[in-house]
Amino acid sequence: MSNFFSLLYNELFKIYIRKSTWVMYIILGLIAIGGAIIMSSIDDVQPTNYTDNWQEELQEENETLQKDNEEFGYSFNDEQIMKNEYLLENDIRPLNYGAWQYTLENVGLVAIVSLLTIIIGSSIISNEYQWGTIKLLLIRPISRNVILLSKFMAIFVFALLTMIFLFLVSMLGGAIFFGFEGFNPSTVIMTGDGFEYVPIVGEVMSEYGYRIVNLIMMTTLAFMISTIFKNSSIAIGVGIFLLMGGSIITGIFSQYDWSKYLLFANLDLKMYETGNVLIEGMTLGFSITMLIVYFVVFVALAWIFFNKRDIVNQ
Amino acid sequence: MSNVALELTNVRKKIKNKEIIKDVNLTVRQGEVYGFIGPNGAGKTTTIRMIVGLMDMTEGEIKVLGKSIEKEYKDAARNLGAIVENPEMYPFMTGRQNLRHFARMYEDVPKGRVEEVVSLVGLDQAIDEKVSKYSLGMRQRLGIAQAILHKPAVLILDEPTNGLDPAGIREIRDYIRRLAVEDNVAVMISSHLLSEIELMCDRIGIIKHGELITEQSVKEVSEETEETEIKVILDVKEIEAAIDVLSSLELQGEKEGSQLVSLMPRESIPQVVNKLVEAGLTVYGITGVKPSLEDQFLELTGGNIIE
Repeated sequence: MSNFFSLLYNELFKIYIRKSTWVMYIILGLIAIGGAIIMSSIDDVQPTNYTDNWQEELQEENETLQKDNEEFGYSFNDEQIMKNEYLLENDIRPLNYGAWQYTLENVGLVAIVSLLTIIIGSSIISNEYQWGTIKLLLIRPISRNVILLSKFMAIFVFALLTMIFLFLVSMLGGAIFFGFEGFNPSTVIMTGDGFEYVPIVGEVMSEYGYRIVNLIMMTTLAFMISTIFKNSSIAIGVGIFLLMGGSIITGIFSQYDWSKYLLFANLDLKMYETGNVLIEGMTLGFSITMLIVYFVVFVALAWIFFNKRDIVNQ
Repeated sequence: MSNVALELTNVRKKIKNKEIIKDVNLTVRQGEVYGFIGPNGAGKTTTIRMIVGLMDMTEGEIKVLGKSIEKEYKDAARNLGAIVENPEMYPFMTGRQNLRHFARMYEDVPKGRVEEVVSLVGLDQAIDEKVSKYSLGMRQRLGIAQAILHKPAVLILDEPTNGLDPAGIREIRDYIRRLAVEDNVAVMISSHLLSEIELMCDRIGIIKHGELITEQSVKEVSEETEETEIKVILDVKEIEAAIDVLSSLELQGEKEGSQLVSLMPRESIPQVVNKLVEAGLTVYGITGVKPSLEDQFLELTGGNIIE
């Protein structure tokens, strides 16, 4: 087994020794901190700091929001107003904006982590062909399955490390520009059944967790495509297109009942928590089953092609 | 006779109904250097890819120290070291990082082995530079280094002299001979240039259109030449007259530039000299040329197959 960790180490070494990987991290870091810089430097979007008079402040805020609503003839502030009312009713002091909330808002950047993981996952096999090193890799006393597995695992170690990086940079940026709310602050969030007062740490974990499903499935798909076609451009293209356009595709076909069998219809498991289930009759169990089926098919295809192939020149 | 290290039995390879390798049988013994010669496209690399397990064979069996590459892949691969085609390494890593990377793929490569191998192939100076900066010769050395990291019993080198200058070829030649003699390694070297590897091989096999058409030991070949016809160059002023003299002895001559070239047994040479002098021709010189292995094989294979 120590042998497997050597292989995993090799794969991670080859990812992290390249400058292009560090460029990815720098870009991700800049985006993750950039939001905080913009927010803290523009007055309009700067978060309110509530004082001990928070009840009055909330009421004032609601009046302003109400006015805005009337002015624009559209009730886009309703959610905020309701949230403020909930705080007042339950006598909960609103949490001042800080690192945790900034990190929670940065959850959208997991899409960028997915993007980077797709790029890594698409090239981890095809690069070896391109460099010609696949020959030197596959003449060792190690079965092709184990080599494939070590590469597959390396992709997800990369994803995990990148996710941690995103989390830490967001926390750091949030803390520098807005302050730190403490180690286990709670906040009010909207769920399917109205508002709830919950610890923010759990919320951050579950939000990031839900997005990992998409990351894993799209990366596995890209990995399979690149293993079959030995070409990273096709895999990256398809992976990113589906990552971005998956929800649109689901939207187009959602009128048909069979669309629940599409991969994209099952990627967002959060819908079972909020209650906005895409197609009637879908359940959490159904989606998880579908995800597992797709995952197994992708991995099996990659495995079959990688094992059967004669290694010849590109 | 020492033990068989590498054995190919009735190996065939078909790709899309085209038979690329046709029933190849060959063995390489421990401590022997086997030259695997053939033009580009004859099936050298395909054979090598099958030996190292990069390609499946359609039929037949390949054994490394008695272990089948198909059925006991790990045991067979453990005893194999190889360069297949160009010695490509990770360009963004240093030579040392590359070697460590491959050393980690074996369970039993001791710590100091990388450094040991580096000095064996003479790369100490450049080992901490990125491979992208290496010359082709340096890459060849690094390729050999990665192939011998784990002290394999069978070493397969595909075109190891490609891109090397004569000094580099000589160095590799010495090194390979040493591996065979001192460490008892069975070495298989492929090349399309017979002359480059002729000196380091004990035995040579020629492959053409996927068939092993002849196999001979290098010594055997040179002994044989003592008795068979050799090429004789006659530097004579009156070429036409000399051709007549040769035909009177039932020999044939051909004009090549200002000289006359003929094939004859060594024993006929004195007779020819006598006749030429008797005929009063102006003879500047007579040279017997011992045919190189290459000439012989050209003859054997009936055509200019060696590119």
